[in-house]
Amino acid sequence: MRLSHFNSDKNLHSKVIHRSPLQSHFEDWQPYLKLKSNNENVDWLYKISITCFAASYLVVFALEISRVFFDVGLRKFVRVGFAAAGLFAHTVYLFLQGQLELNATGIWLGSWFGWCLAAAWILMVAYLWISIRQSKSVFGLFLMPVVMILIATGTLFADEKPFSVDRAKSVWNMVHGSALLLGTAVVALGFAFGVAYLVQARRLKKKMPHSNLFRLPSLEWLQKSSEQALIASTVLLAVGLISGIAINLIRQKATADSVGTVAWSDPVVWSSAILFLWLLTVSIFNFCYKPSRQGRKVAYLVMTSFLFLVLELAIVWWAGHAVSPVDDLADLKQSLNKIANISDDRQTLFQLEDIE
Amino acid sequence: MILRVIGCSHHQSSVAIREQLAFTEQQIPPFLDRYHARFPDSEAVLLSTCNRTEFYSAAQKPDLIPNQNELVEFLATERGLTLDEVRADVFAFRDREAIEHLFTVAASLDSMVVGEAQILSQVKQAYQLAVETKRQIPLTHRLFQSAIRVARRVSNETEIHSTRVSVPSVAIGVLAKRIFERLDNKKVLIIGAGEMADETLTYVVAEGGKSISIVNRTAIKAEELAKKFNGQVAAWGSLEQELAAADLIVSTTGATEPVVTDEMFDRVESARNQRPLFILDLAIPRDFDKSVGDRLNVYLYTLDDLQRECELNRQSRQSHYPQALKIISTETELFLNEADRRSSGATIAQLKQQADKAKQLELKRLMNRLDGLPAEQQAEIEQSFNRLVNKILHPPLKSLQNEPAHESGGLLDALKKLFQLNE
Repeated sequence: MRLSHFNSDKNLHSKVIHRSPLQSHFEDWQPYLKLKSNNENVDWLYKISITCFAASYLVVFALEISRVFFDVGLRKFVRVGFAAAGLFAHTVYLFLQGQLELNATGIWLGSWFGWCLAAAWILMVAYLWISIRQSKSVFGLFLMPVVMILIATGTLFADEKPFSVDRAKSVWNMVHGSALLLGTAVVALGFAFGVAYLVQARRLKKKMPHSNLFRLPSLEWLQKSSEQALIASTVLLAVGLISGIAINLIRQKATADSVGTVAWSDPVVWSSAILFLWLLTVSIFNFCYKPSRQGRKVAYLVMTSFLFLVLELAIVWWAGHAVSPVDDLADLKQSLNKIANISDDRQTLFQLEDIE
Repeated sequence: MILRVIGCSHHQSSVAIREQLAFTEQQIPPFLDRYHARFPDSEAVLLSTCNRTEFYSAAQKPDLIPNQNELVEFLATERGLTLDEVRADVFAFRDREAIEHLFTVAASLDSMVVGEAQILSQVKQAYQLAVETKRQIPLTHRLFQSAIRVARRVSNETEIHSTRVSVPSVAIGVLAKRIFERLDNKKVLIIGAGEMADETLTYVVAEGGKSISIVNRTAIKAEELAKKFNGQVAAWGSLEQELAAADLIVSTTGATEPVVTDEMFDRVESARNQRPLFILDLAIPRDFDKSVGDRLNVYLYTLDDLQRECELNRQSRQSHYPQALKIISTETELFLNEADRRSSGATIAQLKQQADKAKQLELKRLMNRLDGLPAEQQAEIEQSFNRLVNKILHPPLKSLQNEPAHESGGLLDALKKLFQLNE
């Protein structure tokens, strides 16, 4: 994890000045930039780092684990308090980082880094909601690791290049990115539901004694939630895939290059199509064959969907899909100039620190 | 304050005696009226449940309260019994023990099923009936309000009430909730119409169960049960269809062979589309083939499984018992301190008043003799008298305060006698 980047990497702009801006952008893309406000009253908001909310979430996870071993009255409030505080810090960080990336790349959270943090944010909102709805259950044990893994993945991918600028500007691309982001979060949530279902079903089948310390939501609730996650993720990923195809077609039209064809040889395209077909098949199977909607079958389906999604994302990353291609140089130059202008403008909300 | 309690409970009395000494809700107010007619200077509360009859009496002074024998005799006579007939089955406590006993009863630590919630509402009802006699009951008011507060404290601060210990309550209140989010949209099938079915249905209905079908070889019993719980009777021949439609099955027949065999469930399973099914086989011998529980999405619990769960819960309750007793002990101490503070407060005020009166008389007499004394000197003398009175009263009052509250009765009485204070 490159958490240290957050505070240490202040050299983007200096590199922009001393080296070719385009070289800097491609070779040293770092989303971690220390921000500073002109308004002293809100300075503390600009000091929020990944460490702040990641540490809060770690405390929440530790408290969730401790629920299995002993009972303390006030822990619930401490746990929800830490989760809410972490979520607040996460929101502020995403907002400010999003603004910065917007200035740099033309899109909000236009990088793998931002994307992972946004998915983790959605899952934390779900965690808080479930904590209130199912306050006695230890569902967080299944969801918090997914959140932590997403944050860790985000920081691991911090050096990855940002997403393409011109793609980002199109409506299709926004739909594409948003649907995939939401779809990913929902599939991850469904995975947690599925695992919790299997654990609860196993406990009941094995007639393990009821424990006030290890409570899970009812099988019915978990099944219904898994089913809803499955349907929602199918729709969202379908929208993501269709909008992705639309983006390709628009690009081909713009470059007058084999207009009207889909690049099926692109690993991202075929792997996305396979994921979509899987989800579609599962949904149709679910609709037509009643037993598949029952119990652990749904749990297995959502867990398999999650594995498919992880595979799909790995292919997208490996294929370098969505990152800035070489012919986007002109737009990137403009973006980087924008950053330079920001630092000069004292009225603007954001400034880069340590500009030489 | 003097408090006495006499009564009988499941701990030391047979069912026969408990039945004879029990009162219905309607019988309590006239009973209390007759008591007040005979002992007008004391207060009374009668608590009567299926497991206990307890008669509490309180008064400000010992000579105003009936003694133990009078209380037992009054209670026995009211139920058409003699003192000798009930003497061996009746317990009696006084003051501290009586307070502690009521707190223990209200907190459900003395119940047959420790931690059952019903007793607190019965204690409240007993107090309410005493209030409705339209007599002033300040002593028992404080006592019962404290008992209700103590019961809530025990409930909040320990987990003694949070675990269920009866088979039907564990089955429906704990296990069914781990499978189903709600019961109001589930189909409940009862096979057999015995006592266990009746008791289990009480919990099913309490948890919101609405769609209830009862299948029994004897239709009359099934109809009675269906009427009681607003359910429907299905013919024994339609058992397979009912099994296919059910989400929760409670089986309590007296059959010597399994009612639902593996082969029968094979036929039912295809119609169920693998919907989750929770089966409570509360019959001995079993009504369901053991292998039915191995099916996908079928959760079969037998009486043994449930009793194991109940036993664990009982042990869990026992582990909280010392903590609950500690709360009761602390609260009893607090109650006694408060009662003694109220009691000694009146005596102290009387003593101070008496001393002040003597001081005023002496001052007046002295001032008359020292006629023409300047006002400043008069004030000086008055201050001197005040200091003298305070210094004389300070040691006995401090001793009274330092005495453990509930043991200060002797000192208080001595103080009253020494200074000839009126009762």
